[in-house]
Amino acid sequence: MVVEYIQSILLLIAAFLVIVSAVGLVSLSKDMKNVVYGRIHIVGVFDIACIIAMIGLGQYLLAAIYFILAPFTAHAIANAFYKSEDVENNAELNIVEEDVENPNPFVVHKSKIQELEDVDSEKLKADDRFTISTLDIEEE
Amino acid sequence: MDILIISKYILIIAFVIMMIVALRVSAYKTTSMGLLGSSVVVVAFAIALLAFGSLYNLTFYRDISLALIFFGFVGTVAFAVVAGGDK
Repeated sequence: MVVEYIQSILLLIAAFLVIVSAVGLVSLSKDMKNVVYGRIHIVGVFDIACIIAMIGLGQYLLAAIYFILAPFTAHAIANAFYKSEDVENNAELNIVEEDVENPNPFVVHKSKIQELEDVDSEKLKADDRFTISTLDIEEE
Repeated sequence: MDILIISKYILIIAFVIMMIVALRVSAYKTTSMGLLGSSVVVVAFAIALLAFGSLYNLTFYRDISLALIFFGFVGTVAFAVVAGGDK
């Protein structure tokens, strides 16, 4: 009889923690800084509620297994988020490789044109498909 | 009605609510949130199944929930490793 009371108290505590973590997951503001880590933290509360529920249901081995496995899951998800999507904290994700040399193909610097006009230009030799012809305009 | 049975039913209702919330969480825009939500759904379903099995004295529910917890963990970690990249 006493064991049943203890079991039911454990199950009620687990149900309370599950409800609290569910409300926390939904009500966390989307604009908050580091909100994904906050949600992972809330899922930690849910994991402990699951372990309490398993103990209340008499599945001690399953509770021990989940007690070991749950932190690995949380760490793996946080690690994946940091490496692939966390633009706020991971500086490596903010580096964007841009071709700053020639942003507009139709506007070319004068020196490059002069390089191409040179007969001995290596770029001209490398590509036989193109020829360059220029007009000499003389000012009186 | 026995208090243990009532508390088991309350636990199942709480886990069903958590499953719905986790489905909502998995619909957020980042991939990690989808991963988190799906792992929570699997675990919540496994524990609800465990409570069902103890209510109706069905032993194989325990095996199914053990498989769900273990393979859910493996799948979550595998997907997280792939999503994290090689760096």
